[in-house]
Formats: sequence, structure tokens, C-alpha cells
Amino acid sequence: MSAQMRAISGSKRAMRRQLQALPFSEKIALLEQLRDRCLAIANNPLRRRTSLTVGNLKERDHGRIS
Amino acid sequence: MKETLEEINRMQADGVIGRYAIGGAVGATFYLEPVATLDIDVFVSFRKMADGPLISLSPLYNYLKARGHETRGEYIVIGGWPVQFLLPGGALCKEALEEAVETEVEGVPTRVMTAEHLVAIALQLGRAKDHARILQFTESGILDAVKLENILSRHGLLEKWKRFGYKFLEGKP
Repeated sequence: MSAQMRAISGSKRAMRRQLQALPFSEKIALLEQLRDRCLAIANNPLRRRTSLTVGNLKERDHGRIS
Repeated sequence: MKETLEEINRMQADGVIGRYAIGGAVGATFYLEPVATLDIDVFVSFRKMADGPLISLSPLYNYLKARGHETRGEYIVIGGWPVQFLLPGGALCKEALEEAVETEVEGVPTRVMTAEHLVAIALQLGRAKDHARILQFTESGILDAVKLENILSRHGLLEKWKRFGYKFLEGKP
């Protein structure tokens, strides 16, 4: 792994640790923002024009992400 | 989410459900970084029918519908969140419900399954997204190895855990 990739990987781990350490209420607020973005993406008409992909199948599966 | 939990707590206080615990992606978020999800999995203990061993979900549905909440498939939408109420199907889920930890969201008390129980349930379910969640937990370093091993042993999941380790953790579960 190159030095640049190591730096990127380390920075991602640090951010995950930072998010992990947040109080539950703050994490729930982030969760709600993530949910709203997922719904906005799922409802975008451009997304419906694509051919059959795993993403489409997920959308058909009641839009359930996780 | 605050409104959702207040409503579930009210339902518990009114005796419609017994104890409850949040599982799934929202439960995992208590321990990990937030992960995108569109619903909340709530494991509940229900009251038994007076004249038999059957457990009825209808008091829960009737209660929430009477309070103006709409049903959407297997979900009930409360405070903008589709909530799936689940019965603890086996011994593992029953134990997870019993041993859930108390916390709060914006001052509203609630209960969340322990990290080790969430991992054991994910292992038992074994879907791709469950494997991803287990990896998140193992990478986070928050799991109590002894507690997890005891749970896995009690519920016959040690062999499955070993296989998971060989496949995803370079043979080091």
C-alpha cells in the first residue's frame, strides 16, 4: 500500500472513530439525515431510467437500505 | 426518532407491550458510526392471550392505529419512521431483549441490545448486510470477546463464528 493510500485509510478510520464516539442522540440526528438523503436519491426520476441493477432490485425491495 | 420512542414508551406504559429493545441498524448505531437505514427494528415482548399460549400482535396494531398511525406493509409509521415490531423468535433474541442496555435519545429513555447480542444475531441471520455489520463491530474494537464467546457458545454459534473468521477475518475470529 502506498503512503498516500495509508494516509487515506488512516483518515477514514479516524473519522469513523470520531463518529462512533458521538452521543447516541447526535448519531440518531445523523441517521435521520442519511435516511432523508437515501429517500431523495431513491425518488430521483433519473435513477429510474437506469437498466436493471442490484440498486434497482433494492429499490424494488421496498427501498430498504439496511 | 424522539416522537417514535415516546410513542413506544407510552404503549409500554399503557401495558400494550412488555419490555422492548431496539436492534438492527439503529441498534448498531448506538455503538458504531451511523449507517443508512430506512426503518427501526423493535423487538418486543407481547402479552399472552388470557385463554391460551398464543401471542397476539393485534392489541399493538389496534392501539397504534387508534392513535392515528398508518400501517405500511409490515411496518407501522410512527413519527415519520417505519417501525417493524418483532417477536423474539428464539432463545438468543429473548436473551438479547432481556439484557438490553438502557439509554436515551434527546432525553427519551429507551433500550438497545448489547453489541455482543447484535453481533450474535447478525451471525445467526447470516445475510450479506449482517456480515458487513459484524465486520464493522470487530473493526471498532468495542466488543467484549469473553462476553461474545459466552453468548455464541450458549446459542450454538461457535462453529459458525469460526467459519466467519476464516472467511472474513483471515482465520482470526
